[in-house]
Amino acid sequence: MRQARADEYAEFAVARAGHLYRSACLLTAGDTHLAEDLVQETFGRLYVRWGRVSRVGNPAGYAQTVLTRTFLAHQRRRSSRERATDVFPDLPGSGDGDASLRLTLLDALARLPAKDRAVVVLRYWEDRSVEETADVMNVSSAAVRTRCSRALGRLRELLGEDLAEYARP
Amino acid sequence: MPGEQHQTPFEERLSAVLRDAGGGFDADRTALVAGGRSRGRRAMTRRRAGVVGGAVAGVALVGVGGATLLPQGKSNGPDVSAASSGTSSRPSASATTPAPAPVSGDTVLGEFKKLLPEGEFSQEAARGSADEPGPYAHLVYDDGEGAAALNVSLQRVEPGSPHVRELTRCPDKTFTPYDDCSSTRLPDGSLLRLLKGYEYPDKRVDTKYWSADLVTPGGQHVNVGEWNAPAQKGAPVTRAEPPLSAEELTEVVTAEVWRKVVDAMPASSKPPAADPSDTAPPAVSGKDITETLVGLLPEGLDVVRKGGQETEYTYAVVDDGQGESMVQVNVQYGMADVAGQLYADGETLPDGTRVAMQEGNGDDRVAGVLMWTADTLRPGKAGFRVVISAFNNGAPHAEPSRGTPALTMDQLREMALSPEWDKLR
Repeated sequence: MRQARADEYAEFAVARAGHLYRSACLLTAGDTHLAEDLVQETFGRLYVRWGRVSRVGNPAGYAQTVLTRTFLAHQRRRSSRERATDVFPDLPGSGDGDASLRLTLLDALARLPAKDRAVVVLRYWEDRSVEETADVMNVSSAAVRTRCSRALGRLRELLGEDLAEYARP
Repeated sequence: MPGEQHQTPFEERLSAVLRDAGGGFDADRTALVAGGRSRGRRAMTRRRAGVVGGAVAGVALVGVGGATLLPQGKSNGPDVSAASSGTSSRPSASATTPAPAPVSGDTVLGEFKKLLPEGEFSQEAARGSADEPGPYAHLVYDDGEGAAALNVSLQRVEPGSPHVRELTRCPDKTFTPYDDCSSTRLPDGSLLRLLKGYEYPDKRVDTKYWSADLVTPGGQHVNVGEWNAPAQKGAPVTRAEPPLSAEELTEVVTAEVWRKVVDAMPASSKPPAADPSDTAPPAVSGKDITETLVGLLPEGLDVVRKGGQETEYTYAVVDDGQGESMVQVNVQYGMADVAGQLYADGETLPDGTRVAMQEGNGDDRVAGVLMWTADTLRPGKAGFRVVISAFNNGAPHAEPSRGTPALTMDQLREMALSPEWDKLR
């Protein structure tokens, strides 16, 4: 890459690191070590092509796309052990009343196939539309819908009770 | 989002609890950013000084929705299998030989300061041997002549690997302008490169970057860098040249202490993120690419210079008498899965080959640079892609030397579609 725009890159990376990391933690269902790796990999890829990325208008969205694809590619490579997340998350803030619900949620996410998890994170954490999600994942909208309703069904099953009690102030 | 916002109560609660759970994670942002940057740099070193990354990315990047990745698992740095090795290589993992006691960031910083001539220090920062992404120290040093950023960073590398060759050879001046460079082998077998270059390859800002890279036969890599400004980028130049002379740089970079710090890095992290070329799909040799490229050039063009990477990318600078024109080629595998994005606006030939033609701009920092591109993807799973671009200048950061590139769009297309490339598969 040309060294151009490196300040801009650094500024962007610092500003987005927290959010990307949190996305990655959800994608990995709480595997914070893998999440760190994925975010660094994402930043590495953005760094390589920053000159162009910065011009596409929505680098944050692009970064999210790269993160998701990096995650999926990673899962593909280790697909023989789809449920890779037996690491239990080191969640901060245990004094928080909702901490156990978070753990339940992460555990439930961990039980979803990686692609379903990605759909859930994109749709309900990133607020992406079905079409946008399809774009990010390089699959059809129909495939996203299928995965999404399957994942929702499964999540309802896994944490329906808990979620029903969860009321946001 | 638009048009499908009618979420069920369950979905709403799911969103809320996801936000809650996601919000509970907090990272060391600086470490993430630094780690990303060093991965990016490593990837780029392999891809040779950026023009490759820039050019390919330019072709590959279509926009946010259809954004694409670089070729998976190929030239693109430590791909995720390598990334995941970061996870498994935590110090607690099954390292066979216990690493020496870790060296703290403070120690790294202290040792660095001891090696520097007298002066004032400020803005100190450091990482120790057990920290990711590797030990490092940074400070601003003022010998009375002007504040200057200095840093030292340490890592393990694989002796003899392409990465090490990149680190220790003087770069191709076409892509990396510099004032002086030497690459020597020291009596102990280490390779030392001293480079007096610039922070920005196009020299648009006067920040000089001088660096010393030492790679020992044991694979210890020490990098010491200095600037003539208090920050790498974005700070005004404070002096004509960085503070340390080549001799002083050499003294700092060759200090024994650095090797000990590298040795103290967790054993399981060596070699760092195994070079992806070990496991990557076949890469086409740069020499073959150059030969093919030169063979396909229309008559009447003189090849003034040529060069490129060991694999995947080469360039030739041609002149038809009207001025220099750089022509570059990327030949790569593994692009089939992103064909949809790359060739969305292109055409598909009867045999299934995808073609996208683009008359675009080159370096956006130099006005008037044109980059004309023929981008082709052969049918089949291998995802064999040939991209040829021609510029109306003779080097990436040079002023335009002519009105248009020396090759027409038709010629580029014909060259990229030539069956000669298939002989390299």
